[in-house]
Amino acid sequence: MKYGFFLGCNVPAVRPDVERAIRLTMPALGAELVDLEGSVCCPAFGAFPSADETAGLAVSAWNFSIAEEMGVDLVTECGSCYSSLRIARKKLLEDGEKREAVNRLLKPAGKSFSGTVAVRHIIDVLYNDVGTETIRGALKFPLEGVNATVQYPCHTLFPSEIVGFDSPPGRPRMLQELVEALGATVQTYSRELQCCGGAGGFTKGSFAGASEFAFKKLDAMKKETDAELIVVSCITCLEHMDRMQNEMNKKNGDSACAFPVFDYNQLLAVCMGFDPSQVASISTIPRDGLIARITRS
Amino acid sequence: MTDLTNINTALWREITESCGDIRKCFNCNTCVAGCPAAEGSPPLLIRNLVRKVLLGLEEALLEDETPWLCVTCSACEEMCPMGVHPFEVCLAIRRWQSRNDETFIPAAISEIFETGHTQALGQVREKRRAVGLDEVPPTIVKFPELLEKFREMLRNTDIVRDNEYMFKD
Repeated sequence: MKYGFFLGCNVPAVRPDVERAIRLTMPALGAELVDLEGSVCCPAFGAFPSADETAGLAVSAWNFSIAEEMGVDLVTECGSCYSSLRIARKKLLEDGEKREAVNRLLKPAGKSFSGTVAVRHIIDVLYNDVGTETIRGALKFPLEGVNATVQYPCHTLFPSEIVGFDSPPGRPRMLQELVEALGATVQTYSRELQCCGGAGGFTKGSFAGASEFAFKKLDAMKKETDAELIVVSCITCLEHMDRMQNEMNKKNGDSACAFPVFDYNQLLAVCMGFDPSQVASISTIPRDGLIARITRS
Repeated sequence: MTDLTNINTALWREITESCGDIRKCFNCNTCVAGCPAAEGSPPLLIRNLVRKVLLGLEEALLEDETPWLCVTCSACEEMCPMGVHPFEVCLAIRRWQSRNDETFIPAAISEIFETGHTQALGQVREKRRAVGLDEVPPTIVKFPELLEKFREMLRNTDIVRDNEYMFKD
């Protein structure tokens, strides 16, 4: 198993501890990662795809050309990168005129798009290629007696024809089973499948509306579960669920909402015994207490 | 009453060129019911945007900033019973707005032109070193000669050629 690790922009800049966790855990589970040297922004939907479609497809194709030369599929944790690249690949494969226009743009750089490699989300690779049995067998600190909720990245769900890998599309279960493989109990709740709301222009363009949207989700989680943490697998979910708890506490004048938020590979890394100061060191809501409990330190 | 005296009868053709047919939309509201940004203020109401496009309400559409609230979750794409692609409509409207009013052009594209990314990946050295990573990630920030080729490619795109002043080396 060999994959081109697509970093995107936010993971390496804002939460490099997630990058570190992925780089340590995946090879230890048999999934070799190679760097996609010279990769660029996916591009984000709010960038080129919102201004010039052909330019946007050319930027995606730039990234594909690197993976194609190396003969590896791309794997990414970021939901937006995943969806942007999947949608771009479909358009490039289905529309010969666009593909030709993009290849004309790429040519002077010595690059081209042929569509020979796929884009995978890390949940898909962890579940379908690595497998829950391998994960169970690699744990130093299983999550005994820990209750968690999961946040499915919306970009891996819809439109299911283009991005979907879980089944059925309206009731994903892979992330839940991956968290259960760590030994935790996953609790479901009424707003489990509500998207975090952190991607795109919602928070920037309508902060109050976006905050209230997130508060409803967090309120439901508080009322309906005994969760001690939230497990996500998308950089935007990670940042947003963390940030919005802080906003909710500011609004309520308390600190009552304090679910530590972990990217799956961070939690996996802690359970596998990797150094928490490298794999889970950056957050708003403190994670240290839970990490100490998990590692019995 | 909606004023239909000053309409652009070709508007729907201009926009649907890159998002697929929208003529079967009958305003059922499914796209709105599942949309996070429909809870914004003002709300993103995709069915209303589709109406504006189909009726040719060019001026109203050019003043409408709600397409930029989209979360990009694409739940609407999954749910539309008429096979319209509401998320693609949203992006197509943004592109039409960017073509007709340069103030709509997102700043993120000049950031990507300058650095290859929407984040300053070259300026987080200490943060990356602290978690045991290489200070500079192996993306285009590490390869200045590739960044120059990347910019050369972008200089040949319509958006960069038509708005040259926005893009700095």
